[in-house]
Amino acid sequence: MIGNDIVDLQLAKTQSNWQRKGFLEKQFTEEEQKMILISKNPFAQVWLFWSMKEAAYKSFTQEIKKRFFAPQKFKCTLINENEGLVVFEDKKFYTNTFLSVFYLYTIAKETQEQIAIFSAIGAPKTIDIALKKKLTEETGILSEEIEKRKTFIGAPLFYHQKQLLTQSCSISHHGNYGAFAFTLENES
Amino acid sequence: MKKEELIIKLKAIVKPYIQDEEAFKNLTEETDFINDLKINSANLVDVILDVEDEFDIEIDNDSMEKMLSVKAAIEIIEQKLST
Repeated sequence: MIGNDIVDLQLAKTQSNWQRKGFLEKQFTEEEQKMILISKNPFAQVWLFWSMKEAAYKSFTQEIKKRFFAPQKFKCTLINENEGLVVFEDKKFYTNTFLSVFYLYTIAKETQEQIAIFSAIGAPKTIDIALKKKLTEETGILSEEIEKRKTFIGAPLFYHQKQLLTQSCSISHHGNYGAFAFTLENES
Repeated sequence: MKKEELIIKLKAIVKPYIQDEEAFKNLTEETDFINDLKINSANLVDVILDVEDEFDIEIDNDSMEKMLSVKAAIEIIEQKLST
């Protein structure tokens, strides 16, 4: 499974206060807190770790089909500036983060291998349309005939009639941005 | 504290973070913080910290894990207030 998470950095500045008492302690491991506090840009470090945790969580919950809120249990380490590893109990998630001035975008996957992930960033309101367009490009099925359904935990799946098209799919919205990531059912 | 009072207090706590006014207006015990009220997952911790402040309780990690709905929040607050 794969998961994604986008953070609108402008909105994150006003919507959350990472310096609030308890904010770091409840969500980040001691090691992560240390790294945040010694970072040159603690704000960016907070949201980098957060998006790694969230993307890994979204990958994991598609598999276990259960929701919960335990960000501290998703332990982050960085391999380099963009790549990271998130460990949750005996599970490992490999993350890739793209950081711009405006947003931070992370995709998490369960394998270290290269797999075909289709992903794009757009406007939040049109992200489903963009995803369907991409599916059309890849499968040849008309966009109008592709239907979004949600699993009972709220994870999106895209179908053509009875045929499931997406093997794993994750959609993220925040502020001015929307992003999708999916893998195809017949691949991998 | 009566359950109705708890719900009123909880409603005031979540208000700044909700993104679906309609779901907020029709809030019941069954309301889900993320799926219904569209609270950003990054703001869930704020809800939890605000609950701790408002009721003067400590929400441990095991309880926090379940705090995704009005019902779960009420149960946790009631349990912490009684111990």
